[in-house]
Amino acid sequence: MTLRVLLVEDDRELCRTLKDAMSAEGYEVFTAASLSESFALLTGLGARPTPGGAPVDMVLLDLGLPDGDGEQLLAALRQKHTVPLIVISARESDGQKVRLLDAGADDYLVKPFSIRELLARMRVGLRHRGTSVAPAVTRYAVGTLSIDLGTREVTLAGTQVHLTPTEFNLLARLVRSAGQVVTHRQLLMDVWGAEFTEHTHYLRLYMAQLRGKLEDNPADPRLLMNEPGVGYRIVESQG
Amino acid sequence: MIPLPGIDASADFWPAKAARAWRAVRQAAMSGTVAPMTDDDAITPRRMAKWPWAWACAVWGVAWLLMLGLDRHIGLAQAAITLVLASALAAIWLPVLASLATTTLAVAAFDWFLVPPKHAFSVEMSEDMLLLAEILILSWVVTALLARGRVLATRARRSARHADQLRHLGDALRDCEDPLARGEALCASLRNLLGEPPKLLLLRNETPAPADDQASTALGEPSADDLVGLWHCVRLCRQFGPGTGHEQELPALYLPLRGAEDEAFGAAMIAVSPAEGVDEEVLAQAQALCDQMGQLLHRARTQRQAESAHARAQGQAVRNALLAAISHDYRTPLAAIMGAASSLRDQGSKLAPEQRERLAQSIVAETRQLSRLTDNTLQLVRLDAPGVQLHLDWESPDELAGVAIDRARKHDPERRIKVWAEPGLPLVRCDAVLFSQMLENLIDNALKYSDPPAPVELTVRRHGQHIVFAVRDSGPGIEPQWREKIFDVFQRGDWRSASSNSAAQRGAGVGLAVCRSIALAHGGDLKLRPRSHGGSSFEFWLPEAEAPRVEDRDQAMDGART
Repeated sequence: MTLRVLLVEDDRELCRTLKDAMSAEGYEVFTAASLSESFALLTGLGARPTPGGAPVDMVLLDLGLPDGDGEQLLAALRQKHTVPLIVISARESDGQKVRLLDAGADDYLVKPFSIRELLARMRVGLRHRGTSVAPAVTRYAVGTLSIDLGTREVTLAGTQVHLTPTEFNLLARLVRSAGQVVTHRQLLMDVWGAEFTEHTHYLRLYMAQLRGKLEDNPADPRLLMNEPGVGYRIVESQG
Repeated sequence: MIPLPGIDASADFWPAKAARAWRAVRQAAMSGTVAPMTDDDAITPRRMAKWPWAWACAVWGVAWLLMLGLDRHIGLAQAAITLVLASALAAIWLPVLASLATTTLAVAAFDWFLVPPKHAFSVEMSEDMLLLAEILILSWVVTALLARGRVLATRARRSARHADQLRHLGDALRDCEDPLARGEALCASLRNLLGEPPKLLLLRNETPAPADDQASTALGEPSADDLVGLWHCVRLCRQFGPGTGHEQELPALYLPLRGAEDEAFGAAMIAVSPAEGVDEEVLAQAQALCDQMGQLLHRARTQRQAESAHARAQGQAVRNALLAAISHDYRTPLAAIMGAASSLRDQGSKLAPEQRERLAQSIVAETRQLSRLTDNTLQLVRLDAPGVQLHLDWESPDELAGVAIDRARKHDPERRIKVWAEPGLPLVRCDAVLFSQMLENLIDNALKYSDPPAPVELTVRRHGQHIVFAVRDSGPGIEPQWREKIFDVFQRGDWRSASSNSAAQRGAGVGLAVCRSIALAHGGDLKLRPRSHGGSSFEFWLPEAEAPRVEDRDQAMDGART
């Protein structure tokens, strides 16, 4: 079954280019230039006989639409479905981007971006479909590192790495969204608790400890990537 | 009249007397002939003028003793000279009319006692008659001259005092910046002059706009009626009230604060009784004080206008230069994109696949260049705006360095970029997005200006109370005369023309300028240091801040949540 993508983007040129590129990859692309148009489109498409029954399999949402805030679309979608949503933002809408990520968007792309980057993010997003219902990823492996979330075992080049409980929780949270950015707020909330959402310095220190244990050169990370002002991302699993 | 323009001229009038005697003359003048004035009371010295009648009587007494006692031994002429001398001395202390009267009486007594036949007013010889007339006229002339001298001395003193007052007000006005405080200084001066506390209306601009609260300041709590009068005075730009020749019956004197011809910057109002009126000179002085204030406000307005015009012109010049610099920087990658894209469109079928690939690569690379330029320009504009807010947070120096390196590698995978961070660095307080942008720019710059395969290094270390991020290249280095200028947004080009990299001419102006802006916004500094064996080191010095404590909860945590 062809995967359906809803592209909400008000710039016609960019919209056409992206549609062509995604169509070439075999996606069925629906485009909307405004919030109202995207709502109408979603209603018109109706439910489909897929798990979750979402009208589309993925949403690409551009910020700065002529008739309103992207958060409305996200909220409406999240009420019924766990359809992956990637935010496309310009540099000046940084704050809104983080808000949407905190509200449940899966990832973001800053304009201008390459098609290769977009397609890679879409693949990650689609792979994570439904993760919030049941954790799909329990085993993670990249290079010589392997993580088993079930047994709580972390090995690097065959040797077991000892992690403190907090370090492991932090790593596990990232692994469950491997390839996707997890905002500071989400990490602090899920690992430390709601009262710690402003304590980013905790995150910095524990990330530094994790890097010290898992990376060759903590100042030149290949595994635990930082997205300044947004959050962290662990690279995609290769296993 | 003999011209006696001032104190010095008056001194000439009485050259034989010592300075002390002259002071006595001036004292006498103050207390005698001149009608008392409000502003004189406060400063008139009274020490020597205490007993004017006693002094005069004493002089006359001595003179008569001499004349009568030596009657047998001196001639009539000597006695006459004594009388003239006494008359002149007495005139120093006595008011002019009293002086004239006593002199006349003395001449009559002289006739009675000394001129033959004695004890009769008739005169024997016609030359004695002449002598009497001469004595009388000479004494009157001396008295009149003395009186005139006293009037002039008074005027001179008053002028000097008024000049002093103006100077004091000038000093007071110059010293204070606040218009309200300036008003107080004028109030004090006017009160000193006229004895009544004045009410003031001060305007920032000469255009009267009673509705605008910001445009005017009122002092001395004027009532609504007072304000109407004050505004009226401002609009007319003319004095009125008692002594001015206009609306004399008013209970107060209204004076405009004139800044220029027909431009009042406010008005003053002082209660004055219509019956008493105001002395002409005092009025002139009060107006001069008011005008001084008006001129100050006028000057302030002119200065404001000049400053804002200058700022506008300067802002315009900066904007123009910035736009010129930026549009030049945009044009270069745009030209490359245009060339590559149009070539693909028009000659696509004739090109070999590798050529097409290269053109497409060039479009992607140039687009990235444009994107960075846009980010930098936006950031530069944002940081230059007043009241810019940074999203400060605690960040790890390792991570900041890592991000910058990661991005640089994505853009230029061929080049060797090394990174080293001192272990155990503290967290730094910064805006991560801006900070990464700065490091990225510096690395980009280093890559541009040093040719492969020379590596570019990013190091982070602690240096005293600072965390130093250094981006080093092994390029040709920068000429000393350019080391400061390269951070200027409008400088571009030939400071590294030795590099064979064609990109060397592009866009460094905006990139380095935004780096410095970011560094300064963080309370740090961006420095350029030449490296000993060639190349440059761009160093960002960020003051260390004390990070908040982190509780170790792992000990307390029982088991782990996953």
